[in-house]
Parts: sequence; C-alpha cells; structure tokens
Amino acid sequence: MAKKALLISPELCIGCRGCQTACKAWNQLPAIKTANRGSAENPPDLTPNLYNRIRYVEMPSESNQVRWLFVSQRCMHCDDAGCIKICPAPGALFKTKEGATAYDKDKCIGCKLCVAACPFDVPRYDEKDKISKCHLCSDRIAEGLAPACAKTCPTGAIRYGDRDSLIQMAKKTGYAKVYGETDLNGLGTLYAFKDSPKIYGMDEHPAIPETVVFWHKVLKPLAYLGLGGAVAASLLHYVAFGPKKDEEVK
Amino acid sequence: MGNQMIKKANAFEILNHWLLAGSFFILTITGFGFLFHLQQVVAIFGSANTMKVWHNYAGIVFSISLFFTIFNYLPVSLKFGVDDMGWITKAGGYFSKKAAIPPQDIINAGQKLYYLFILFAGIAIAASGFFIWLRPQVADIRKWVLLSHLVHNIAFDLFMIAVPLHIYLGTLANPGTLRIMITGTVPVEWAKKRHAKWVQKMGY
Ligand code: SF4
Ligand code: SF4
Ligand code: SF4
Repeated sequence: MAKKALLISPELCIGCRGCQTACKAWNQLPAIKTANRGSAENPPDLTPNLYNRIRYVEMPSESNQVRWLFVSQRCMHCDDAGCIKICPAPGALFKTKEGATAYDKDKCIGCKLCVAACPFDVPRYDEKDKISKCHLCSDRIAEGLAPACAKTCPTGAIRYGDRDSLIQMAKKTGYAKVYGETDLNGLGTLYAFKDSPKIYGMDEHPAIPETVVFWHKVLKPLAYLGLGGAVAASLLHYVAFGPKKDEEVK
Repeated sequence: MGNQMIKKANAFEILNHWLLAGSFFILTITGFGFLFHLQQVVAIFGSANTMKVWHNYAGIVFSISLFFTIFNYLPVSLKFGVDDMGWITKAGGYFSKKAAIPPQDIINAGQKLYYLFILFAGIAIAASGFFIWLRPQVADIRKWVLLSHLVHNIAFDLFMIAVPLHIYLGTLANPGTLRIMITGTVPVEWAKKRHAKWVQKMGY
C-alpha cells in the first residue's frame, strides 16, 4: 500500500484551530482549562487530550512587522520511530499499513520510555499512565477517510494523501525542500517550509537520541552475546582445565 | 577429626543470597521479555502489564536484598592486601593446577571483586530502574530517563556476563562449594585449603 502522509503548509494556515477542535471531536477528548499567558497561542503545549495544536510563532522583520507563523505540531509518524524502538511492550506502539504510528492503550504498560525517546517530544501520557498522541486518525484512514484535522482545515494548510504525490505537489508549488522527506527514513507529517525549519520551531536534523541507537545496536545484542559467551567460556574452561578437585587443591 | 565441619554462612546470609538470586532470575527473564518482545515470556505472566508488575516488585526485593549483603561481604571485600594481589596474579589457580595460591580470607580475592562488582552494578541498575519507574519531577526529565535507560541496560549486560561465571564457579568448577549456600557448613580440611586465613582466625 502506498504510504500516506499529511502535508502541512504553515503559510496557508490562518490559525483558526479548527483542526484542534475536529481532532478532539473525533477522538472524544475533553477540553482543557488554560490560563491567559498573554499570547493568542492556546493551549501552550501538547497534552494527553490535545494531539494536535497550532504553535504561534511571531516573526517580525523590517519588511513585515506582523509576520505570524502558524505551525501544526503533532506526531510526525516517523518511519524509523524512536518511540517504537524503545517501547518494551509488544504491540503497544506500531506502524499501520498506511505508515501511521498508532498505539494500543491496553498493551501499553505505562513505562513512559517513548516520551523520552521521541525526537519531537510528542508522546504524552494520560491519567492511567497510558500513551496518548496523534495516531493519524488510524481508524479513519483505515476506512479510506481523511484524518479529522485535514478534513476540517478550510485553507489546505493540512493536506492528507499519498505521501509521494504530496511531496511532488509541494515541489511543483515551488518548495525546493520538503521537511521530513528523508529524515528518520521519511516522516509521515511533512512540512512545506519557506524558511529554515528552526524559524518554525523544528529541528534542522531530527534524530533518534544517540543513547537509544547505541542501546538498540550494541547493548541489546550484547545481552544475548554476553550471556552466551559467559556460558560458553565456562563450559570451555570445564573441558580444558576441569574442576578444582579437592585432592588437587593445595 | 577429618570430618569436622565449620560454619561458613549463617541462615540469614543463605536466605538473603537466595532472595537476591530469585529476584534476579525474575528480573532477568522479564527483562529479556521486554528487550526482545518475547511473546512466550509474556504468556507466562499473562500480559505485559502483569510482567511489568513482576519486574518492578522483584526490583524492590532485589534492592533490599542487595542492601543486606553489605553486612556480610562489604567489609572483607574492601580489605584487599598482598595475598589478594597474589590470588589475582595467579588467576586463582584456574588456569594452572600447579599455581601456589596465597592464603585467603573467608572469601577469596576473586569473590571480593565479584562482590564489589555486584554491589556497584546492582546499585546502578536499581537506582536507574527506580528513576524510570517513579519518574521524579525534575527538569530535563527526558534526558534523565534516557540516561537511566542507558545505565540500566549497560548494568544488565554486565550482569549477563558475570552471573553465569559466578554460577559456574560456585558449582561445577569448585565441587563442594554450593553447600555453603544450602547448609552453610563445609569440612574444616576443605576450608583450610581455600580460606586459610579465615580458618586460622576461627581457631582451627
Ligand atoms: S490526524 Fe487525527 S489524531 Fe492526528 S491531529 Fe489530526 S485529527 Fe488529531
Ligand atoms: S514523532 Fe515521536 S511519537 Fe511520533 S512517530 Fe516519531 S518518535 Fe514516535
Ligand atoms: S509508555 Fe506505553 S507506548 Fe510508551 S514506551 Fe512505554 S509501553 Fe510503550
């Protein structure tokens, strides 16, 4: 199956946050009480009940004194996903055939390791300590529907479709680079950025934390190798040198 | 005279050893289950959620038991003298039956090093485990969790190497040793050859 993706174009976003609301409606997530922080951006961060939020970035410059960037922040549906890599519970986090990073709360054991291993600081945990985040509306896309946020967006700032076609479309529209095209083996949430990703609050080169990669590549195999090696060395010693028989010990 | 026995380990030490070993065994198989998503292991516990409960509570038993080992082994392990160095340079006689090993304390130099390793790696694996489990409210929690995850897994790998060697040395490699962790007593003559300093101190 062709991989699906979201293409986010901050320049098209008007900050209406219809996507935040549609996401809550589809996923039956309650509203959150927030305090006025002197910013129109609200809520201030992703929460277990907020899978997708619009980040407001003020970018005044000489030529444009009121430049506002509205950037949808949510799970990036990494192909090589740090959350899945570190998760110790079989089946708790998984890729769907469309390429979404979905989860099964019943299988999640609430260790919260995924929270630490995500390069984008996305996963949150609910009051039962279970993972909570955007799952690309995996229940909708499995039925051929667009995710709630993309369906609601009135300006086309969030588009859903075949990943390859979205990338091509962005490139045809004049975006030389699409954020997420190759990062982490290809993200499922792509961005058409006009400027450097940093300005939009995104890492230039997102990567799975080095300790997680080291653990996966070295420490994990070493657990088996160490155990096997120690047992083999013991047997070898027994054959080569034999036990310390009492009559032989001086 | 030849059959005279000497008490080398008391009931508390023996019980504590097996509590440590038992909790370690549960921690290891659940640990492997989590590391490699072993469905057969998960099946033993019913679900990954119950397996986590076993892992965490075995961790508590392990930590308490590790704490109590201090009284049995730490003071003597820290006394590392010339005879201990002699044991090390001759590799405990494990690679040459002719090697003359200097007289040893109630535990030999290798056992001392093994104990210090277990204490050190045990504290590392327990502290990092509790950090991940209890997730204290600190700044940069994600970095600390990753560090704990790293420490937990390095210590685990070291345990996977050290413990099989310990089991081998305590059973097959040294006939007559295992009973110390069962009845606690060994023949005086047997002990004299291996723990001469201690036997002498005991007045034999
Ligand atoms: S894809 Fe679905 S779950 Fe994800 S942010 Fe959009 S509406 Fe929410
Ligand atoms: S953004 Fe984070 S939570 Fe989403 S797939 Fe990537 S690693 Fe996992
Ligand atoms: S909190 Fe749940 S989803 Fe996240 S790593 Fe742990 S078991 Fe996996």
